[in-house]
Amino acid sequence: MRKIYYICGVILLSIFFGGETGYCQSREVEDSLGRLVHVPTNPVRVVSLAPSVTEVVFALEQGHRLTGATRFSNYPPEAKHLPRVGSYIHLDVEKIVSLRPDLCLAIKDGNPVDAIRKLERLGIPVYAVDPRNLKAVMGMISDIGGLLGAEAKADEIIEDMQERVEKIRAAVSGISEYPAVFFQIGVAPIVSVGTDTFLHELITLAGGKNMTAGPKPYPRFTVEQVIVMAPDVMIITSMDRGKGFDSVRARWKQWENIPAVKNNRIYLIDSDIVDRPTPRLVEGLEVLAGYINPDAFQAIP
Amino acid sequence: MNSFNTSLISRILTVSSCLFIFLLGIMLLALSAGSAGSGIREGIRAVFSFFVEDPARDPILQTIIWQIRFPRVILAALVGATLSLGGLVFQALLRNPLAEPYILGISGGSAIGAIIGILMGFSRFPGVSITAFAGSMATLSLVLMMSSGQTVLKKDALLLSGVMVNAFCSAVIMFLISLTQDARLHNIIFWLMGDFSLVEMNQVYIVAATVLPCFVLVFCLSNSMNLMLMGKDIAQSMGVNFKLVTIALLITTSFMVSATVAQCGLIGFVGLVIPHLLRLLLGADHRLMVPACIIGGAGYMVTCDLLARTLPEHGEIPAGVITAIIGAPLFIFLLKKSKS
Repeated sequence: MRKIYYICGVILLSIFFGGETGYCQSREVEDSLGRLVHVPTNPVRVVSLAPSVTEVVFALEQGHRLTGATRFSNYPPEAKHLPRVGSYIHLDVEKIVSLRPDLCLAIKDGNPVDAIRKLERLGIPVYAVDPRNLKAVMGMISDIGGLLGAEAKADEIIEDMQERVEKIRAAVSGISEYPAVFFQIGVAPIVSVGTDTFLHELITLAGGKNMTAGPKPYPRFTVEQVIVMAPDVMIITSMDRGKGFDSVRARWKQWENIPAVKNNRIYLIDSDIVDRPTPRLVEGLEVLAGYINPDAFQAIP
Repeated sequence: MNSFNTSLISRILTVSSCLFIFLLGIMLLALSAGSAGSGIREGIRAVFSFFVEDPARDPILQTIIWQIRFPRVILAALVGATLSLGGLVFQALLRNPLAEPYILGISGGSAIGAIIGILMGFSRFPGVSITAFAGSMATLSLVLMMSSGQTVLKKDALLLSGVMVNAFCSAVIMFLISLTQDARLHNIIFWLMGDFSLVEMNQVYIVAATVLPCFVLVFCLSNSMNLMLMGKDIAQSMGVNFKLVTIALLITTSFMVSATVAQCGLIGFVGLVIPHLLRLLLGADHRLMVPACIIGGAGYMVTCDLLARTLPEHGEIPAGVITAIIGAPLFIFLLKKSKS
């Protein structure tokens, strides 16, 4: 019985003194999945559960609020020094709890539901974002900006992104025929991107025709199929930080009848700027546009 | 027939309590260590401060110990006990020292069932547990069918059938995985190698409710197992219903093994390491070996899980990797010894 009194006392004390950590003032918001979450009005111990979320928080100039981030949170460089809480797909719940967060920012695709439920059961508010396309990424930046009191900065970032996207849209509108693009994200097996991905959206915006559009998000291909596709441009992401690019390109070089090989249009792109839902996607879009339609985009720096 | 006399009971109690003290020690260590970063000494103090009134205790550390580490330690103990007992039963029934649920393909069969259940969108319980049990029964009958000419279970035939069934199971698992493209894939792969990282108390209750009655049943049949080892005719003349006991034990064992596979994936070789180690120390009496294997297996699995989450600097390795690294060399050693 005495133990129960004691536990009640601890809870009361933590509510009473909780003001210092921002717990005492909270509000209810709806996250991207339509769940109601009690978040502190001024969160000061935020744990980001994905590298993209970490990037967004830093872009909003709210990096000082972060107390933990997942592995591979490598941008901006300051993010590398944050305590690690596992990888975004295999969260270290124990480590997250030990950092005493007052808010966790989760991402729908990737973070395992079981881990998120466990965090919530332990009383940690988890706000989930679901950035599945460029528009939703802007929505996510605005949402996180709202949570962290950085609405003005969020608007500024979104405006800049929209402006740069518009510039590319305008340049593409003059192109009569989109070049055929084969985008390779996996080497063995050869994996490309379907319709419901960022990359498809970016390729299309950049004035390219995604040869692998289709319902499967990450379809697999054989060399034969790629030769038949006859892409004008081939773009390979740096899944292993660019180390394998030369050997992959050398392997494609033996198929002279692929137009992209014949015209020497095989390119490498940093995967971090095209597959992470962050403000840097626009940077990725500009690089892609330069690869796919070099003539139309020479003017854009 | 009074098969439990006083000296045997006192021997069982002594051995069990010794092993139990070892188990408690390991569990204390497992509760105290983890990625949260507090040292072992502080962890041990935090565990004890739950039972006494310590004003200096840290509520966050208490949460981590009792709501994150405690469920996984208990589940690891239950799984270790089940697998180790499963190994003991198979070794006795099939009269083969190398029999074990994983090596015979029983675990692999459960895994196929479980993956099918997961891909069909069933919940962990009861859906996936039922498909896992169906998978284990299918492989068990397959192994027995392949290895039994007439009535005799030949040593090598059994082992070879198990290896083949296991290879077939791995192929089917790889096939199912290559069909999967979504986010569940990573989770399935991690789960396949034995994963305790996100255990909830309700999982522990489900596994406990499933396997504890099986433990009792196996213990009740432990004397029959002793007699059966002497041969079918002797056992039958001593009043053992050979067929019934064999079937009851095979189904019970497959049932409890599949229950653990459905919750935390494939963990191999536990049923090999622990029964052999304990047999060296305690002899072959199953009335003593059954409780010893249950408690010893629990302690061993908690140790492997502790290593799995404290050895790597970041994240954790699947517990099944640790048990295989320890178990597979032992299997080769035993195979070599039994041949010579």
